[in-house]
Amino acid sequence: MSKDGSSFFYPTLLSEAAKWAQKNSLWPMPFGTSCCGIEMMSTLSSTYDLSRFGAEVVRFSPRQADMLIVAGTITTKMAPVLRTIYDQMLEPKWVIAMGACSSSGGIFDTYSVLQGIDEIMPVDVYVPGCPPIPEGLIHAIIHLQNKIDSGMDRKPAERPSHEDAMNAMTYRKSIADIKADFTITQDYVKQQQSLLDSLKSKEEIKK
Amino acid sequence: MNKAAFILEQGKVAERLMEKYSKDRRLEADRNNEPVLWAKDAKDAKVLVKSFMLDDNFKIDFLSDLTAYDNQDGEDGEKRFVVVYQLYSLEKHIRIRVKAAVDLNESAETITDIIPAANWLEREVYDLFGINFTGHPNMRRIMMDERFVGHPLRKEYPIKQRMGFDDNVQFHLGGHELHVDNTLLEDGSPADTQNRATALPEGGK
Amino acid sequence: MSPKTNVHTLQDFYNPNVLINLGPSHPAMHGTLRVMCRVNGETIEDAACEIGYLHRGIEKLGETKNYHQWMVYTDRLNYCSALNNNIAYAMAVENLMNITPTERCQYIRVICMELSRIIDHIICVAINALDLGAMTVFWLLYHWREEAYTMIESMCGMRLTTTYARIGGMSYDLPDNFLERLWKFCEEMPKALDEVEGLLSSNRIWIDRTKGVGVITKEDALKYACTGPTLRSAGIDHDLRRDRPYYMYPELEFDVVVGSNGDVYDRYLIRLEEMRQSIRILKQCHDRIPMGPLWVNDKRVQIPEKMDVYTKMEVLIHHFKIFMEGIDVPPGEAYTCVEGPNGELGFYIVSRGGPKAWRMRVKSPSFMLFQAFEKTVKGGKIPDAVAHLGSVNIIAGELDR
Repeated sequence: MSKDGSSFFYPTLLSEAAKWAQKNSLWPMPFGTSCCGIEMMSTLSSTYDLSRFGAEVVRFSPRQADMLIVAGTITTKMAPVLRTIYDQMLEPKWVIAMGACSSSGGIFDTYSVLQGIDEIMPVDVYVPGCPPIPEGLIHAIIHLQNKIDSGMDRKPAERPSHEDAMNAMTYRKSIADIKADFTITQDYVKQQQSLLDSLKSKEEIKK
Repeated sequence: MNKAAFILEQGKVAERLMEKYSKDRRLEADRNNEPVLWAKDAKDAKVLVKSFMLDDNFKIDFLSDLTAYDNQDGEDGEKRFVVVYQLYSLEKHIRIRVKAAVDLNESAETITDIIPAANWLEREVYDLFGINFTGHPNMRRIMMDERFVGHPLRKEYPIKQRMGFDDNVQFHLGGHELHVDNTLLEDGSPADTQNRATALPEGGK
Repeated sequence: MSPKTNVHTLQDFYNPNVLINLGPSHPAMHGTLRVMCRVNGETIEDAACEIGYLHRGIEKLGETKNYHQWMVYTDRLNYCSALNNNIAYAMAVENLMNITPTERCQYIRVICMELSRIIDHIICVAINALDLGAMTVFWLLYHWREEAYTMIESMCGMRLTTTYARIGGMSYDLPDNFLERLWKFCEEMPKALDEVEGLLSSNRIWIDRTKGVGVITKEDALKYACTGPTLRSAGIDHDLRRDRPYYMYPELEFDVVVGSNGDVYDRYLIRLEEMRQSIRILKQCHDRIPMGPLWVNDKRVQIPEKMDVYTKMEVLIHHFKIFMEGIDVPPGEAYTCVEGPNGELGFYIVSRGGPKAWRMRVKSPSFMLFQAFEKTVKGGKIPDAVAHLGSVNIIAGELDR
């Protein structure tokens, strides 16, 4: 107790104190690949200033960060890199999927794009938008802080294991199957072509 | 340069192409009135590019683009693919497009030795269409993973056919053949020390 | 030292065969670029670049979506200057259909393109300075970038991915107080540029880090087909806005900025000066922009007024046809290019008729620039490579498509 009666000490649980510290010092590891990365930069810059929420100390080393912001499209070529970074981060760690692409693949439903990063890692907060405006990202971070505060954080045991993630990343089809598909499609094309040719010749005969 | 002078200039180019290069070759104009010259085959395309660079009427010195498209429906002749060279002259500001038809089992001729900028562009065409360029220093995939099967920009490739790779969690070198000589000399110093200034040939061959 | 005893001598540090991997997740690698360097000490002796970490199949999508739908994907090419891509693409399709936009539309397009050029250059200069440790520039310039973004937001409702252009016109006319706002921007933004110039241009540290660094010579620039500020910094006087004019550019006054050394410092100066020239163009557009129709009077592409759609039967059918079937582009092909912020941005469209393109090719400037980077980075130091990469401004979305 100090002289005027105000307290220096607050009796609390250790877990509560840890939560308080964790939620107010979320150090982000920015994984900006495309457009969302530019909006993430805007969020960090002078007008929006993410430091008001204790999350401005950008760490490009995953070992020093506790919040992974995945901003942008993740391709199948990039997926193992992202998973490596996630594995390198220390517990406790949180993941924000910023934008439509990292949440669900977005408008890129093509041969090379991973349809949402939740195929390879657990995600805590999804931010909609293509790209989300900076307020959206700030809202996601506040939401994450509330989540940490209310103890909704997943326990480490509940996270998908490394093997599970690896299984998600394995071939949707084995390479042999795809090769077989190719021969099928090529045969199919040839078949169609021969059908067309026969039709044409029939027409010519009619003439 | 205003637009009228510009169209006039392009007209001159077309005339010159007509009188000198259009023998046995098809000369067309596209919707921008730019000349399109069909080479006889893939080898002829390289000859054309070379001669345009030497021709003082064109002074072609710049490769704007090199790409290809799939001719599955047979609109542009019998052959399966068409390789497209967009040539440009920085001095005369004219554009010429050279096209060469390439069949499924044929390979095109590289122009990397004339214009080094074609290096990656040819690799891209190889990756996405499967057209091989003979004589290219480093003919391998550029966009897709090394183990990808198929060529996505071919018309028969299903757009949603995805492929993931499970075993490259570690950073794999992606086939980079950086020249590393790890053998040590007898005194323990690296073997390459004497030779450290030797740069690799183009494309990391 | 014999190999048996594991004692390291000084000679080990001069091993010329050390491989260093930069990227694809690296603070200086701007997104998803990856450079493998073979270094000798700190000097890069050889480099190999790996791209494709952001290959999203945009060109393949161009063959499966109709012409209007694909406009959305052009935003995601060079996301720092989405407006420029929108308009270049609209122009490419219009050339295929022999459509010339109205004068007001052309002026709006010029305004959009110059505005996005300023934004792109701001990103380049600010991030380049940030990479080299000058953070103040980043805070200073980003304020003006935000201002430009709010202006763009008032035009089309989105900050970054605009989709503002339509084939044959623009989605909306300019908002009410836009021109006054633009004028204010043109008046006050150069002050920030002056400030940046005061901070950097004669700064000893900045000059030491940038002068003579990352040189792309005239020969290299031609050999590797560099365009835009990189080509001009090498001393080649070429600008598509002047040399192959489109829209209102022949009637507007501006200078083409040309450098001489081809180093990072030159590229920085060129970008600053180009921003000033853009502001000059914007001011002229502000003065000259006419009133009049925004859309071309061509029923093939014209999107009907919303009021008419609700009240008239034929217009409703027309509207339905345009959006459900898409516009019918005649068979043929065209290569259309504009001077983008980083260089020549071209769209090569092969049409076989109908609402979808047969081949949609994007010629991106970044692709060539990154190839040139691979060749010209040799011989420099690793920190110089970072400066070099920042100054050519390679955008991964456009590089990999």
